[in-house]
Amino acid sequence: MAEWPQNPRLISTEIPRVDGLGKASGRTKYPSDVHPEGMLFAAMLYSPHAHARIKKIDTSRAERIPGVRAIHLLAQEGATLRYQGDDIAAVAADTEEIARDGVRAIEVEYEVLPHVATESQAMAEGAPRVNPRGNVQKGRAQINGDPDAAIETADAVIEGEYSVPVITHVCLETHGLTVRWDSDRTITAWSSTQNVMGVSQELGGAFNIPPTNVTTLTEVMGGGFGSKFSADSWGIAAAELAKKTGKPVRLFLDRAQEHMAAGNRPSATGKIRLGAAKDGKLVAMIAQTHGTGGVARGAGFPLPYVYAVPHSRREHSDVFLNGGNARAMRAPGHPEGCCLMEAAMDDLAEKLGVDPLEMRLKNLPEGDFKTPIYEAEIRLGAEAIGWSKRKPRGQAEGRGPIRIGYGMGLHTWGGGGAQDKQVSCIINPDGSVELRSATQDIGTGARTILAIIAAEVLGLEVDQIHSNIGNSSFPPGQASGGSTTTPSMAPPALNAATQARDELFRRVGRAINEDPAGMSLAGGKLLINGKEAMSFAEACRKLGMMPISVTAGFSEGLTSSGVGGCQFAEVEVDLETGVVRVKKIVAVQDSGLILDMLTWRSQVYGGVIGGLNYALFEERVMDPTTGLFLNPDMELYKLAGASDIPEIEVIAYHTPEMRARGVIGVGEPPTISTAAAIGNAVSNAIGVRVPRWPMTPMNVLNALAQVS
Amino acid sequence: MPSQDPRGRSGPSRRDFLRGSGVAAATAVLTAPAVDALDEARAAELAQGPPVLSGDTTITLQVNGQAREVVVEPRSTLLDTLRNRLDVTGPKRVCDRGSCGACTVILDGDPIYACTTLAVSCQGHAIETLESFDPEIVPAAFHRNDALMCGYCTPGFVTACKALLDKNPNPTLEDVRRGLDGNICRCGTYVGVLQAALDAAKALRKEA
Repeated sequence: MAEWPQNPRLISTEIPRVDGLGKASGRTKYPSDVHPEGMLFAAMLYSPHAHARIKKIDTSRAERIPGVRAIHLLAQEGATLRYQGDDIAAVAADTEEIARDGVRAIEVEYEVLPHVATESQAMAEGAPRVNPRGNVQKGRAQINGDPDAAIETADAVIEGEYSVPVITHVCLETHGLTVRWDSDRTITAWSSTQNVMGVSQELGGAFNIPPTNVTTLTEVMGGGFGSKFSADSWGIAAAELAKKTGKPVRLFLDRAQEHMAAGNRPSATGKIRLGAAKDGKLVAMIAQTHGTGGVARGAGFPLPYVYAVPHSRREHSDVFLNGGNARAMRAPGHPEGCCLMEAAMDDLAEKLGVDPLEMRLKNLPEGDFKTPIYEAEIRLGAEAIGWSKRKPRGQAEGRGPIRIGYGMGLHTWGGGGAQDKQVSCIINPDGSVELRSATQDIGTGARTILAIIAAEVLGLEVDQIHSNIGNSSFPPGQASGGSTTTPSMAPPALNAATQARDELFRRVGRAINEDPAGMSLAGGKLLINGKEAMSFAEACRKLGMMPISVTAGFSEGLTSSGVGGCQFAEVEVDLETGVVRVKKIVAVQDSGLILDMLTWRSQVYGGVIGGLNYALFEERVMDPTTGLFLNPDMELYKLAGASDIPEIEVIAYHTPEMRARGVIGVGEPPTISTAAAIGNAVSNAIGVRVPRWPMTPMNVLNALAQVS
Repeated sequence: MPSQDPRGRSGPSRRDFLRGSGVAAATAVLTAPAVDALDEARAAELAQGPPVLSGDTTITLQVNGQAREVVVEPRSTLLDTLRNRLDVTGPKRVCDRGSCGACTVILDGDPIYACTTLAVSCQGHAIETLESFDPEIVPAAFHRNDALMCGYCTPGFVTACKALLDKNPNPTLEDVRRGLDGNICRCGTYVGVLQAALDAAKALRKEA
């Protein structure tokens, strides 16, 4: 695996993203910015009730409003609306203001039905059913060994109930698209998506035209985090409106519907019994867990997590309630599983009087290739956070009501790539170079990574490569999810650039009567037998009228899968107010060969800050009485601002062995263990477990009240 | 309370609002003649006050140094006017209620949330959006420090940063945090953003 890259000039250095200046100067057009000639604006009508049947819809008043051009119903009379925010209708109008007037003028008669908006409501005896098969659906128990017998042999057993709430993605650019029918069988869609190919397929399917007739364009997009893989009901509605009116239509959700309907991360609650021997070696785990994905299934999460538990039984139930359906969110399932596992580990270490760090080292799976990686990472992280300053729970130092605590957590992720994706490399006679693939850059730096790889091969600078992605008509590229984009796209990019280079050598060789075998590219020059022969541009001119265009795919040996990673947190907690301030986070992360150290670090910083949000602030609050989502906004649904950001130390575990593993994605792993580490640090500071995330003043004070 | 003057920037500040409420509360205990006198004074003020606007209204906005004539409704926000009618799409619509800062523009030198400002109230005032900034200073500092990922909050941060540096060319890290606390990023780019602001300040000082 170690053959590539040899003596890299660009790879693993810090390279600013190629599309950064366009974004930072406000000049790049997002899908919500494009304004094709004659475009109409659309707005959505969505359910104001948690559960209701539509008895009657009358759009006649809306249709009479001057400027309203078309109305499309997503739900018909008789349809059941299953959560606040569920789709009803879309209105297209000359201006956005008029579109909203149109929405307000649609008269809907609802039969309000009984709802269940919280898990306890949904799980109560005789609760109204959201799912005909029942609100609580038990999966098959996962059993390993003989946990009931084993737990009896443990020297210490803890029993805890830990929970993580539903949170939402809060993509800053809401879900939506701008769509135009170019003929009665061809569509152009500027979509805010993680999956240009998927959007084309869905729109094509919805209108019975080939997906190749739908060009989905996503030059840039304003955040997805796992929630933007689909054209969605509203995307299809926008295309319906565009078809009806013969005009392009822009439809992006408003902030409230974005929160309610465009995806969320399921909750996770676990009643966990965890037992260990005196020395801290785990013996058994018995866990009952549940979570809700709203009206949808999908609240699964891994447990046990990371550590070797010789005997375990885990029973999991999906709870259905009148809330928007869950979607994948950055490292699906892992932050939840990590919080629950790491809390139980810490509580058990506490009970045994073992240093939680030692306890973790003791329970890494034997023989797993990741175990030595974790061991090295834990050492680095402990040093960086100053773990030796940590006092046992309840003995934390501080001043006045402030207590200082330390905590840690481990995580894992796959991050391997797909093997069926392609990249084209085009070298033009004018010396310009273009890469093409139907993948997209969701903010991770995918576009830049491709340019770096080609620039390395062609001896050019990164900004000389036009990395042209976000277009579904290009060769098949990877959807951006699960940290798979870079490992999926790096091999075909390398192969395409290499094959294009070799073709350049052949054709220049023919033109100037030189042996291509002696040719190389470096510093923007063509070298023959190591001597500068001509500039890259001059070499390209020898191509005459015919560009080089090579499309290449995957090859073995350039990527791999499976990472570790650990994080440490130092917090200050005010015992009187319950306010938690995170002072420092240390994130140690491996991810194989790092292609761009600058954008890689940004991914880790971003993951940590996401984790800090999950740890301290984020929670979807549902009102049991009305069934409504109480904070579908950005002031009561809280996210960190500049003053909430602690010192963050990112340590790349990037040894020669790691580099030799090849490319692995890094989007998910660094967001997994932050909330777990912060939760443990809070418990360490205040002397009791705060069993519910987020670590809000209320949850912290409630935990303190339990013991006083 | 100042009126919503379509010829000038309106915007009752929080302080004005509180002061206004105080007057209203005091009114409740005034004697009837005093109330009449106050009403008369208000009526007089209203008589020469702004015209009531309704429906399509043509206004002229000074956007990035250019006079732009545009048809709006009185309820049209400055943000929607810029984005939907003038194709000035640097400022972004995210929360649409003044809590995230993605829509920040500079009005007469002050950063404001364009999503909660009426377009009709901005006539006669200088509106700057980040498209008019020297890309070599603040945007370049964001680019170099990788202070952006998806980039959708970035225009707001860049604008707030520019407004901060225009007033305080030599900010401390704490000044920068405070200056940018009206903005929210979901990708988690703050570390780069804080550094970019400090770098941009340095670049500006060098230039001066």
